[in-house]
Amino acid sequence: MAELLQFVLTGVTVGMVYALIALGFVLVWKSSGVANLALGQLVLISSWFSYGMLVQAGLPLWLGFILVIIFALILGWVIERFILRPLIAQPILSLITVTLGMAFFIEGAVSFIWPKSVAALPRLFPQDPIRIGTAVVSQEYLWAAAISLLLFGLLSVYFKYHKMGIAMRATADDQMAVQACGIPVTKIFSRSWMLACVLAAVGGVLMSSIGGITFGLVHTGLKAFSVVILGGLDSFLGAIIAGPIIGLAETVGGGYLTPLTWPGVREVIPFIIIIIVMFLKPYGLFGERRIERI
Amino acid sequence: MDLPAGTRNYTYAQDMAIFRTKTHWAMLIALLVILFTAPLYWGNYWLGVANLIGITIIAATGLNILTGYCGQLSIGHAGFIAVGAYTSAVLTNRLDLPFLVGLICAGLTAGLIGMIFGIPSLRVKGFYLAISTIAAQFIIIWVISHWSGVTGGYTGISVPPASIGGITFISQSSQFYLIMVITAVVIFLAKNLARTRAGRAFVAIRDNDLAAEVMGINLFRYKLLAFFIGCFLAGIAGSLLAHWVGFMSVEHFSIADSILYIGMIIIGGLGTTVGPIFGVIFIRLLQQGITFIAPLLEGTFDLPAGFTTGIGPMVFGLAIILFLILEPRGLAHRWQLFKASYRLWPFSY
Repeated sequence: MAELLQFVLTGVTVGMVYALIALGFVLVWKSSGVANLALGQLVLISSWFSYGMLVQAGLPLWLGFILVIIFALILGWVIERFILRPLIAQPILSLITVTLGMAFFIEGAVSFIWPKSVAALPRLFPQDPIRIGTAVVSQEYLWAAAISLLLFGLLSVYFKYHKMGIAMRATADDQMAVQACGIPVTKIFSRSWMLACVLAAVGGVLMSSIGGITFGLVHTGLKAFSVVILGGLDSFLGAIIAGPIIGLAETVGGGYLTPLTWPGVREVIPFIIIIIVMFLKPYGLFGERRIERI
Repeated sequence: MDLPAGTRNYTYAQDMAIFRTKTHWAMLIALLVILFTAPLYWGNYWLGVANLIGITIIAATGLNILTGYCGQLSIGHAGFIAVGAYTSAVLTNRLDLPFLVGLICAGLTAGLIGMIFGIPSLRVKGFYLAISTIAAQFIIIWVISHWSGVTGGYTGISVPPASIGGITFISQSSQFYLIMVITAVVIFLAKNLARTRAGRAFVAIRDNDLAAEVMGINLFRYKLLAFFIGCFLAGIAGSLLAHWVGFMSVEHFSIADSILYIGMIIIGGLGTTVGPIFGVIFIRLLQQGITFIAPLLEGTFDLPAGFTTGIGPMVFGLAIILFLILEPRGLAHRWQLFKASYRLWPFSY
């Protein structure tokens, strides 16, 4: 029983971070219709960048984080301005594959600048584990979940009340109408990429404070895909709900299925969920079913 | 097809011909002669490169039929190649079956697995399909690396060299003939497939699958057929790869390879027969160039240690991005332009 409680707690909290990263995907998809397959690589490069700032340059935590956020903003702006903007109105196949090229490039850049394969961030959160009932959970998980929840809250306030946030929602709804109202759509695209990169950076720092910086962070991005597939590509709520579900399935399934099947089953559970969702409910839990016209 | 001035088609057979004029035939024969006498004057190293290029062309042609003609993006191609490679390896190593049986079974198994993972394509497309093929890649590799009783797991499996009717293909040059013959046949079949009912159906589905369905194309049948053919060729390529390398482990089939295959057909030109050939040669020669030049540069300019490992992915990523932005129709389009201007030379029109 204690085991189960432990799996549930770690699963749900890690799932929150997945949801955070997945939100960045949904944001870009909704506003510009680009499927960002380089999500995992964005997580990877911002984690390494924070390593560079905090450990290699030895900056204090607060300054390091501000620099990481600035780096993510610049990265998002550069990606949108120089890679995606020339491809506006190209077929979806090009938009997907260009992000694959980007993924390749970022991975190369990471192994160019940081040739090590493993590194650890300095301690960000208190270390002593917390006992909840019979389960023992390390505090990092709870902090990660709390920060994710805080960001969800901030984002929803931003989308509800800020002028730019409202414009972004409007763009998601109808691009043509927004353009006719005089809102610069390219600016919206740029903002959504910058926000997506920031979310990936925060998710990356949280994930690497839990598990260290490894190449496995790319898989975090892939898990975020299963979150968006389960939740529905164009639903913020779907991502927030599906995140903990995926995290839960991963830890609980991994915990109980490993003795029955092969080791490493935990890593493929998100992908098996993707295939099941594709067969049963391809547009996810909250996704909008697309009705097409010829 | 653009024809030289003065050449006209008088029969349907002439209109359909791939090689229409005497010059075409002369160039084809010259190409074949050069290709099949290559082992006489190429060293073993370059024959090995050519073998790898041939195998990759087969796989890329399969992906081109699936993605370039039928428009179904697959980012799990390396996974399907792995299915073929391991089927062939298991059949010939553990069951002692002849190479040809292994080759055909590799194609069929990969095709069937591809069809299973292609079923979602009937309801979803674009990004959804891309993700489900990524999922396919991870599930396939996970199964292969853990089903150690059959596949050898992480330790890998050794594969006997290919042999047909007493002839064993061990040396690079003998394998060169085997691989090139199969590659030539595959290219020929792929060229003709594009002109059949199925090929035209694929193109219709790519351009607008809803309109295609309204016109009476059975989406279920043709999408799954595209997945079958694409993955069948991946399986054939996998089988050849297994017998060529002689030893299989899962490291040969990473997700990065899948992305590289997509990159190859984009750089070559989607939906053309020559596209995959150009793309594969471009990428593979680029790889050769980088493995040659990167250590040199690192030594000469005292670059950081990650340069050699990092430069490859960076260059490929950049190549994919630049081609998509600057020349989305790929090298095949450049080739068309070149041919057109060659035909008119020295006049401008």
